[in-house]
Amino acid sequence: MEMEQMNKVVGDEEKERDVKVGMKRKLRYTELFIRLLTLILSLAAAIILGLDKQTKVVPITLVSTLPPINVPVTAKYHYLSAFTYFVVANAIACSYGGVSLILTLANKGRKNGCLAKAIIMLDLIMVAVLASANGAAAAVGYIGHEGNKHVRWNKVCNVFGRFCNQVLAAVGVSLLGSLLLIFLVMLAVLKVQNKH
Amino acid sequence: MASTDKPEVENVAAAPEKGAVPPAAPPPELKSETNTPTSYLAVAEVVLRVLLFATTVTAVVVMVTSKQTEWIPDRLPPFRIRNSSRFTDSPAFVYFVAALSVAGLYSIISTLLSILALLKPGNWKHLVSHFVVIDVLLLGIVASATGVAGGVAYIGLKGNSHSRWLKICNIYDTFCAHVASATAVALVASIVLVLLILLSVFTLSRRSLK
Repeated sequence: MEMEQMNKVVGDEEKERDVKVGMKRKLRYTELFIRLLTLILSLAAAIILGLDKQTKVVPITLVSTLPPINVPVTAKYHYLSAFTYFVVANAIACSYGGVSLILTLANKGRKNGCLAKAIIMLDLIMVAVLASANGAAAAVGYIGHEGNKHVRWNKVCNVFGRFCNQVLAAVGVSLLGSLLLIFLVMLAVLKVQNKH
Repeated sequence: MASTDKPEVENVAAAPEKGAVPPAAPPPELKSETNTPTSYLAVAEVVLRVLLFATTVTAVVVMVTSKQTEWIPDRLPPFRIRNSSRFTDSPAFVYFVAALSVAGLYSIISTLLSILALLKPGNWKHLVSHFVVIDVLLLGIVASATGVAGGVAYIGLKGNSHSRWLKICNIYDTFCAHVASATAVALVASIVLVLLILLSVFTLSRRSLK
């Protein structure tokens, strides 16, 4: 009778451990999947803004009696330093995504090692860099869209419509990527906390 | 001191692990708590939270007091108009002030709660874990506010010839100095937040080792 009970208890423990291991594995696959998604999103954001170039022919009137002269005007991402920062930050985040994927695979799901803490730290720095890049690009894009009459900065998005839409798309994609990264940090912290 | 049995047990378990006595002197109310690494981590957390409060409030105050009135030359040289520049002129700076005010308010609450947890140690693991989650969110907000202010301030400083946005920092010099200082202080605030989160992770992993 006692043996049966013992066996039962041991069986329950084993089952519990199996469930725990399964959860752990699932959590780990989720983490790897989110890392991969972050990598793809930041790569997409960098490419969308990096390939952003629009040339438009703008009529300019020099003398009112003469017909207007058509001048081609080009908008590129590296004309604005905030957009350059955005592309560089996303490129860094993308390459870090690759490195962190390898590090996570090398870590083999251990929670308390130095490697896990290093990954959390680098993740945090990436969150900060990506968030500031998003903020900078969004603020400059907003000025381009609305202009600022206090300092006489005219809007440019009425001329370069596609360019502005592409900037908007890049900022949106990168924002999604940085939110996923924040989620990843939260996941890692909760994982560290729930170690028993 | 209101100390229960549980922290004592924890202290005993934690003491031989670290071995050496930490160098910094504890605040007077902690004398009876014995010199354990855990309590030092808690003190460090309180210090960092106070630092966070100081930096966010400084950034907000510096940004809000950045108003500057100058005579601007009009289209014809002898005429001039009086124009002032303040932070509400740009939505980016309004976002900056809002974000850092939220961070400052949160830091008051979290400082008070962590001091409370320091004085009455108990089962406050869950409290810390909730703080960490909000800290990470706040790091995103404060870092984006820094990026916003920095991006707009850079255009104000250098201008942009391609889109014909003229620089304004040669006219509104003290305004620009205020904006630059506020951005720098916000950068310090986000670094403090990163340190806080790392400290929390360290504390949690230390706790869960036992």
